[in-house]
Amino acid sequence: MNIIVCIKQVITGDQVKIDPHTHSLVRSAEFSHINPFDLFALDMAVQLKKMHSGVITAVTMGPKISEEVLREALAFGADRAVLLSDPRFAASDTLATSYVLGMGIRKIGKIDLTLCGMRTTDSDTAQVGPQLAEELDIPHVTGVEKLEIKKNLFRVERTSDGFREILEVFAPALFTISPKTVLRIPSFIEIQDAFTQYSIDCWNLEDLNADPAKVGSAGSCTWVEELIPIAQKKSCAFIEGETQQQAKSLFSKLIEKNLLF
Amino acid sequence: MDFTLSMRQKQIRRMARQFAKAELAPLAQEIDQEGRFPWEAVEKMGPLNFFGMQAPRRYGGAELDSISYCLVIEEISRVCAAMGLTIAVHNSVVVYPLSQFGNEEQKSKFLPSLAAGEKIGAFCLTEPNAGSDAMAIESTAISEGDSYVVNANKIFVTNGGVADTLIIFASVNPDDVKKGFSAILVERGTPGFEVGLLENNCGMRANPVSSIVLTDCRVPKANLLGQEGDGFKIALTALDTGRIGIAAQAVGIGQAALDASLKYAKERIQFRVPLARHQAIQMMLADMGTMLEAARLLTLQAAHIKDEGGELSGPSAMAKLFAGRTASKVVSMGVQIHGGYGYSKDYPIERYFRDARVTEIYEGTNEIQQIVIARELLKRGEE
Repeated sequence: MNIIVCIKQVITGDQVKIDPHTHSLVRSAEFSHINPFDLFALDMAVQLKKMHSGVITAVTMGPKISEEVLREALAFGADRAVLLSDPRFAASDTLATSYVLGMGIRKIGKIDLTLCGMRTTDSDTAQVGPQLAEELDIPHVTGVEKLEIKKNLFRVERTSDGFREILEVFAPALFTISPKTVLRIPSFIEIQDAFTQYSIDCWNLEDLNADPAKVGSAGSCTWVEELIPIAQKKSCAFIEGETQQQAKSLFSKLIEKNLLF
Repeated sequence: MDFTLSMRQKQIRRMARQFAKAELAPLAQEIDQEGRFPWEAVEKMGPLNFFGMQAPRRYGGAELDSISYCLVIEEISRVCAAMGLTIAVHNSVVVYPLSQFGNEEQKSKFLPSLAAGEKIGAFCLTEPNAGSDAMAIESTAISEGDSYVVNANKIFVTNGGVADTLIIFASVNPDDVKKGFSAILVERGTPGFEVGLLENNCGMRANPVSSIVLTDCRVPKANLLGQEGDGFKIALTALDTGRIGIAAQAVGIGQAALDASLKYAKERIQFRVPLARHQAIQMMLADMGTMLEAARLLTLQAAHIKDEGGELSGPSAMAKLFAGRTASKVVSMGVQIHGGYGYSKDYPIERYFRDARVTEIYEGTNEIQQIVIARELLKRGEE
């Protein structure tokens, strides 16, 4: 079984900086890492591979420094890594990104299953998975918690509006994976191997045979017009009195602030 | 000169940090208070190669570079210094000398289980009348056929209470300790091997530091590391490496103190503003951060020199001396920032305060480091 796992390099929590002119995120090697949501997709792929064998290919679009997250994916269990990198891909919105990823996946070959994280910790749109499925013209299900393989179809489970939804989908398909399992930590040997045992395929616009009008800002149909930081005010209040009294006043304060219903 | 870590080093650091946060942070305070060795953590650390960080791959090690090794020790010690100590000692003064001086048979016999964390190592040099003065050891290993009959009373053995594979320093020639100074691998359970009482130490309380007593303990000659008389060289080589690990540990404890102090200084309100707004506190924080960064750079420089095969004694002694002193100063300032709460067991800074102090003592006291450093300086010709 050929499995693709799409990953993204995100910026470490408190290190998010925005370019005031382009309104896009400033990426640096020092403060970036693999989008934690993608690890759940990767973990799902590793579990499936254990049961059904196959090849896991991690794919990302980004600048050269995104090699780092591909190495992380290799340490985590991917067998192959592909970096889609070209200065012309910069400023792609989710649609243009999905196009580039789709072209990359087509070049990789026949794919049975494509997995994505449910969302990212930086731009947080949750759009790339579904858009990529449309680009590849394959069915998709978002927020998958459980995935089984039954002959030529996938049986997946997810929680939706208080219901447990069980769906069957023909292969090839794309799923975004819900962050439910506890992730394992790769060993030092796995990290060492990720850097010494694998080379990363790096493909640009020409390698993908991609249409320049569909990538970067030219291929994007959304853009960030303005970005205004929100100042968050924090204040600290001490609750006085006996423990029971404290609990009571905390309770009413939470109700008052609409934090409890 | 490039001060940036490689992608691989950063990933290794991130992994160690992630592990420490997930698995050691919930235990650290409890095992300190109970003085309990966390076997449950060891079981998780073994498969992740924490016990064979620099051991050769063919024996199950991860062959990390020394900078990565320091980053790992720092991250683990930042959360749980006692576990940082366990792996630093195991890796640097047991697995490392065994990899360097062991013959093929010894390496295949002892390294795989050590590297997997299935067995824990210890280094036994100090005795009631010998420590800084290593040549004063009274332990003996008398040749008898294919064996040595070892009699030894070793004290302050880190990991002593749980160690399976121990490097014991003893003289094969009681008339000439220097000539006979040898390193012998001894396994727990050998008849005559006994673990003494655990030390009731001020800090690093989760590490079972104990005495080890060998009474007419018959050890096969095949367990001699290197040649008879190589012991001092082996001990010094191990300690030169070990000191880098202790320096990294000291940096980790200091960093933990700075982290805790920064957090506390932002939360605690005095005179209607957070402590962090008071210049007196800012000055302490600035000094803590600066000293720590200097200690970290000295440590990583020593690690770099080790990997480049350079002369290590001076740089590793400098790193350990400076990092140990820095840790002590930084934790003390951290306690000061915390005020009365810093003196309470309810805040982790109190543990860091106790844990830091020994980094100025073990694996060579500050004064021994100064002797080593001065000797190196005086040896140098004019450049």
